[in-house]
Amino acid sequence: MKPTIALTKGRLEKQFIAFLESIDFDVEPLVNKGRKLRVETDTLQFIFAKGPDVTTYVEHGIADLGIVGGDILAEFQPDVYNLFPLPFGHCRMAVATEQGQVWSNQKKKIASKYTGITKEFFKDKGESVDIIKLEGSVELAPILGLADAIVDIVETGTTLKENGLVIKEEFFSFSARCIANRSSLKIKRAELTPIIDIFQKQGGNL
Amino acid sequence: MLFLPEGSQDETGEILDNKATTSAIFREIAQARNFKAIATPVVEYATTFTNKHVGMKLHRMLKWFNRDGEIEVLRVDWTTAIARALMKQQSPQTKWFYEGSVFRNDKDGIESKQAGIEIIRTEAFLGEVESLLTAVAYLKELGISNYLIELGHTGIFDEIVASLNLDEADTKKLREAMHDKRRDIVYEIALAHGTEKQVTQLTQLVDAYGSVTELRNYQSIWKDNPKLTKILDHLIELANLLEQSGVDEVIIDLGRVKNLPYYSGTMFRGYVKTDGETCFSGGRYDKLYEQFDEKISAVGLAFDVDVLAKHLQQVQAKPHICILADSKTHVQAEQLRASYSNAVVDIQYEQVAAEQYDKIVTVDDEIIFSKIGD
Repeated sequence: MKPTIALTKGRLEKQFIAFLESIDFDVEPLVNKGRKLRVETDTLQFIFAKGPDVTTYVEHGIADLGIVGGDILAEFQPDVYNLFPLPFGHCRMAVATEQGQVWSNQKKKIASKYTGITKEFFKDKGESVDIIKLEGSVELAPILGLADAIVDIVETGTTLKENGLVIKEEFFSFSARCIANRSSLKIKRAELTPIIDIFQKQGGNL
Repeated sequence: MLFLPEGSQDETGEILDNKATTSAIFREIAQARNFKAIATPVVEYATTFTNKHVGMKLHRMLKWFNRDGEIEVLRVDWTTAIARALMKQQSPQTKWFYEGSVFRNDKDGIESKQAGIEIIRTEAFLGEVESLLTAVAYLKELGISNYLIELGHTGIFDEIVASLNLDEADTKKLREAMHDKRRDIVYEIALAHGTEKQVTQLTQLVDAYGSVTELRNYQSIWKDNPKLTKILDHLIELANLLEQSGVDEVIIDLGRVKNLPYYSGTMFRGYVKTDGETCFSGGRYDKLYEQFDEKISAVGLAFDVDVLAKHLQQVQAKPHICILADSKTHVQAEQLRASYSNAVVDIQYEQVAAEQYDKIVTVDDEIIFSKIGD
């Protein structure tokens, strides 16, 4: 069977395809896939899923390799080989509040999609907080009074700025990463090594 | 209530039969190799598994407070429980086998069935070879041939890291990064604390897995370090022995690290090649007995019975025969049933659907329907 690579849909997908193009990979089937969620090339099978689901498919061995944001890996901590960073999908994790907000001494409410990362971050700081899980548009929470601050990924900072938020603290930086199923890496080594080597070399890694 | 909690499941028919078969074959193989059965209770004190020598995480256990306020748990791990039990035995027996469930909150399904062996107070190489060859013999008997065995050793990482003088937190971080084959973090930590040579050594270790032939070059890379050379020779010797014993594929992962503190030496793992599932795992854990102030060699491995049952080669199914009778002819039907020795025989009073059986007969053995020869 052809090796299967799970790709994160959306922004990372575009950046990954551009990356593949830069290493002379024929990306035509990936670009013109229409609404198909599974695409086969001569040598590989690609599946497209949301970031957390990419980790699930790889963990369960449905996909051998996965391309996923480091933020997703930090949040969900799947049981996979977290091989190496790729040269795209860069972002930082940050605590942001409303401009001019007085940082109170009371126990604070923090809104985030990343509840795991948020919990760990404040635990490391020794601060107790209440975490409110949101699925998106997290920037609304401080403005509308749902939370005192948010924890979210920041790429350029434009969304924060346009919504009147400022970064209080940045604490992690991430990029896209290549992950592998624990058994596949061993069992399908001959098929996977050439792919991994290309990603790794072109990614400017060690 | 008609519902089951997440992770629990009912089982019927074939999968249960397969589990019974794997169990019967396991007992036969183990007993024939002079292993003796041992069982520990399902309920234990949490501290048996959480103390610093064992180091398992309480939050993964199924637990409650007893009347005295002590935490009790459902059996988390056989090896640890057996070590506790054996410390009270004055038996000269060195080889033990067990079968039963372990309960953890982190697996697919909280209950997983295991069967395994423990060998104590036995010369190191002999104990390891006997563990591995028991696995080989068992898998052969189950008809599972498409597997590979991986060997690793805790001493490799420990030896390389010892020279780095890392504090406990950094050692843990490095071990986790090595476990995840997370090359950039391994590089980062090594670079911050080690020489150029150590950085190279550690980052190489991430990719140091493959066949014995592929890893031979480590004998020259590590030639100045007698400890590492000795470990590598040991692993190669085991791998060669397995190949001579008919195992198709043996791989070595030099970068494999222990995921429990009590592992102390060789580590084994068996993968089913078709779907990559782990069918057995184990290794050496002399350190486990240090909690009882005993210096005892101990090695063993556990099979995942759920995985084995799934991959068990199906023996040809017996034909299904139905004898049509009534309350007056039931005795006659029962006598006829006895004449069909190698079949599944059902007695029914009413006409049955033909697709459920291979053959339907009357009490006088007249064929009403048959898709098999006599």
